[in-house]
Amino acid sequence: MTNLENQHIKETLTIIENFTPRIKQCLYNTDYQEREDLEQEIKLKIIEKLATVKFQNVPSFWDFFS
Amino acid sequence: MDNDNQKIEEFFYKNNERVNNPIIKSFLSDAKNLYLVQKAILNPTDSNKKLVDESFQAHYINIRKIKYVSNLIHFFSLDFDKKRRRLQNRSLLILDKGLSEEGGTTAKELIEDESNEKELNNIVGDGLLDNIEDEQLLKSLQKLTVKQLQILELIYVKDLSTKEIAQTLQTTPQNISNLHRKALNKLNNTLRKKGD
Repeated sequence: MTNLENQHIKETLTIIENFTPRIKQCLYNTDYQEREDLEQEIKLKIIEKLATVKFQNVPSFWDFFS
Repeated sequence: MDNDNQKIEEFFYKNNERVNNPIIKSFLSDAKNLYLVQKAILNPTDSNKKLVDESFQAHYINIRKIKYVSNLIHFFSLDFDKKRRRLQNRSLLILDKGLSEEGGTTAKELIEDESNEKELNNIVGDGLLDNIEDEQLLKSLQKLTVKQLQILELIYVKDLSTKEIAQTLQTTPQNISNLHRKALNKLNNTLRKKGD
C-alpha cells in the first residue's frame, strides 16, 4: 500500500469519526429497527464517495486578491 | 522591518473584505499559512506564491469534502427511509398494516402468546407447602391429614371447583366441602393455640 493510499485511508477514518454525532442524529430519520443498518450504509457510502468523487477543481489563493 | 510590516498591513487593508471570507479566514488562522502568505507578499516570487497555493488548495479541498459528507449524511438518511417505507407499503401483509392512521402499532404486535401463560401456571403449580412463606402457617399445615392437604392444594393452588375435585378423587362434592371446612377449622385452632 502506497503512502498516498495510506494517507487517504487515515483521512477518511478521521472524517467518519468526526461526523459520528451528525450520523447519530440523522438516524432518527428512520424506524428504530432500521437504525443500525442505516448507520452502516451511511458509513459505507462515505467511504465509497470519498474514494471516487474528484474534489480537485479548487481556485488558487491569488484568485481572491488583485 | 518596519517597511515590511507596513507592506503587509497595506495588503490586508486593501483586501479587507476578501480576507474576512470564512475560508480565507480559517486558512490564515493557522500560523504556518500566515507566514507563507506574508513571505509571498514581501517577495512575490512564483515559488513563494506556489507554496501558498499548495497549502491553500489542500485546505479548500478539505472544506469541500466536509460539506459534501455533511450533505450526503442528511439526504441519504431521508432517502433511505423513503425507499424503505415505499417497499414496505407496496407488499403489505395485513398483520404489518398500521392500526391507526399514522401507523404506530401494527396488528401483529397485538397477537397474544398463549404458551407464555401456561408456563406461569407451572411455576405456581408446585405443592401447596412450597408456596407458603409463613413458618407458623407451614407448621400448622403439616399437621393436617394427607387428604386434607391434598384438597387444599387442589382448591387453592390448582384452582379447581368442588365438583372437579370430587370427580378426581372419586368421591362426592359434599365430602370435599366437609373436608375443606374441617381442614380450615383445624388450621384455625392450631394457629390460635400458637398465638397464645
